[in-house]
Amino acid sequence: MLLEVRDLHVEFRTRDGVARAVNGVSYGVDEGETLAVLGESGSGKSVTAQAIMGILDVPPGRITGGEVVFQGRDLLKLKEDERRKVRGAEMSMIFQDALSSLNPVLSVGDQLGEMFTVHRGMSRKDARAKAVELMDRVRIPAARERVKQYPHQFSGGMRQRVMIAMALALEPALIIADEPTTALDVTVQAQVMELLAELRREYRMGLILITHDLGVVADVADRIAVMYAGRIVESAPVHDIYKAPAHPYTRGLLDSVPRLDLKGRELYAIKGLPPNLTHIPPGCAFHPRCPLARDVCRTDEPPLHEVADTRGSACHFWRECLNG
Amino acid sequence: MSDNLTLPAQQGSTGASTEALLTVEGLTKHFPIYGGFPIKRKVGAVQAVDDVDLTVGVGESVGLVGESGCGKSTTGRLITRLLEPTGGKITYAGQDITHASRRQMASVRSEIQMIFQDPYSSLNPRQTVGTIIKSPMEVNGIDPAGGREKKVRELLELVGLNPEHYNRFPHEFSGGQRQRIGVARALALNPKLIVADEPVSALDVSIQAQVVNLLQKVQEELGIAFLFIAHDLAVVRHFSQRVAVMYLGKVVEVGDRDSIYNRPRHPYTHALLSAVPEVAMDDETENRERIRLAGDVPSPIMPPSGCRFRTRCWKAQDKCATEEPPLLQISGNREGHLTACHFPEDPSTEARTEDVVLDPALKALEDVEKD
Repeated sequence: MLLEVRDLHVEFRTRDGVARAVNGVSYGVDEGETLAVLGESGSGKSVTAQAIMGILDVPPGRITGGEVVFQGRDLLKLKEDERRKVRGAEMSMIFQDALSSLNPVLSVGDQLGEMFTVHRGMSRKDARAKAVELMDRVRIPAARERVKQYPHQFSGGMRQRVMIAMALALEPALIIADEPTTALDVTVQAQVMELLAELRREYRMGLILITHDLGVVADVADRIAVMYAGRIVESAPVHDIYKAPAHPYTRGLLDSVPRLDLKGRELYAIKGLPPNLTHIPPGCAFHPRCPLARDVCRTDEPPLHEVADTRGSACHFWRECLNG
Repeated sequence: MSDNLTLPAQQGSTGASTEALLTVEGLTKHFPIYGGFPIKRKVGAVQAVDDVDLTVGVGESVGLVGESGCGKSTTGRLITRLLEPTGGKITYAGQDITHASRRQMASVRSEIQMIFQDPYSSLNPRQTVGTIIKSPMEVNGIDPAGGREKKVRELLELVGLNPEHYNRFPHEFSGGQRQRIGVARALALNPKLIVADEPVSALDVSIQAQVVNLLQKVQEELGIAFLFIAHDLAVVRHFSQRVAVMYLGKVVEVGDRDSIYNRPRHPYTHALLSAVPEVAMDDETENRERIRLAGDVPSPIMPPSGCRFRTRCWKAQDKCATEEPPLLQISGNREGHLTACHFPEDPSTEARTEDVVLDPALKALEDVEKD
């Protein structure tokens, strides 16, 4: 395993009490593998990623337990200056909003070059040459001229390519992409997603793809982890999960996407709302919205049952769900 | 559903109708750009909407799709007369409302309502839900039988909210619930046409389905016509009987749902459909065509001459640069399926012998792999 997250807990102090954003998340990514983390807003998918990268806002956030083992070391035990050496060089992150993630007053070339001057101690001139090379690699047209330009002179898709170039710069072993195409139009989204998938193959990197879009996941991921209220409710190879989900929440999500063969008919809708993280329901957090819920779901929190070899579901009645 | 909410124009469940409620002809909106020193003058114009024709029948749901910047929202705002058209004609129920004055619009305003994208900024945070839903009735001086408050409670129930929440404020509701409040407000005046501008795109997947179902119920049971503006092709396919595809201020293809999604002719419609990531339920999706465009939509300040899509089109020839293709029914198309293209594609979305990959980055990566 390249990265293994074990039983991670993160909470935030808020005025309304303690919001438990991540409650015992465990997942792993292998070299060259793509893991998709799927969930709605507030499910803890981004917070988990921030904890892995070490960019969580502390306070109000606090990691209260767990391990993040990356290439054999527990990152949570490292000192901040050691952590900084890992960040960028060995793992890097792509954010959703490329415009606000780039510095508006520095040229794109300066920002890309900074990776090499800071981490590799290169001269500015060499770093600039490297920046052009990188922009070329993510196929930004006329890289030599555009390297001097500023982020506002780039279109949305091109900006996201700059972000990808920056993440690739030091050839990290792991890239975390947090909703990388959510802000883009569909035709541009398809370009960026495929570029990311192919670069990952070329460099044999591990990729964690955080998204709420079930379609994007189906095309590129090897494995999927579905999150709900700070827990992983289902984890499986991508094809298994689409064929036969083993958790009622996953089933509900898949059924609520409009599809060709169901046009005009009423969509399946998961009733109710996601829980407030300061008051997560006892037992299974999904039980107030679940069509299969029984008494045991209100009291006992389901463990991640082994459904198949590499497949798990945190539902007491996963067999029932799997059989439809 | 209570009786007084039912509209006279009760259509069949499909809602399809030959009678036009709204007709838009040659609708144009150019936003001027000013510059120069010391005397500012007009130096150009953003051609947001250019010569758009569109009809919405009584009780019909028409989808308007396209990428950001294609003018679909501007079209919606022109139709509701939140913006003043530069040219063209808007006819609502036989009445020309293109440049109607405030007073002339007053009677029409109550029949055309709008639902906005952002359920956070489209509700006044200082007003209670009751006040928000009631105010359209107050403005228009409408007194429903039983009083306005009773009507508000009925509306809240209709959109699936607790009528007891009459006195709550918007911040006490979640995104999906707020969008329901927006729907209730739009229904308050018994409209005949609702312009819904991206009504579900700010919502989570599980909540999105709830709101789509609500809108569908409203459309079918109350017989309200919808202009459904969205970038999500799957939602539009689910909701709309007819679909218009826009690109850079122009309608490039329009037709019934089946024609657009299964027998598209315009290359852009092909590209757009092929770019949508499909939830793979089975291996059927392997058969879809794969088209990857290069770059982004050009600037609407200096749109390409002739066909506006030609700069990203794989079939473009000299003719496309000089002659603008008219929106016509191409031979082999069903009635009402119009396409603006000189060299239309085959009416199929199945995989072709060779993928169309115009994106240089992908092309290069794929060539590396082949070697």
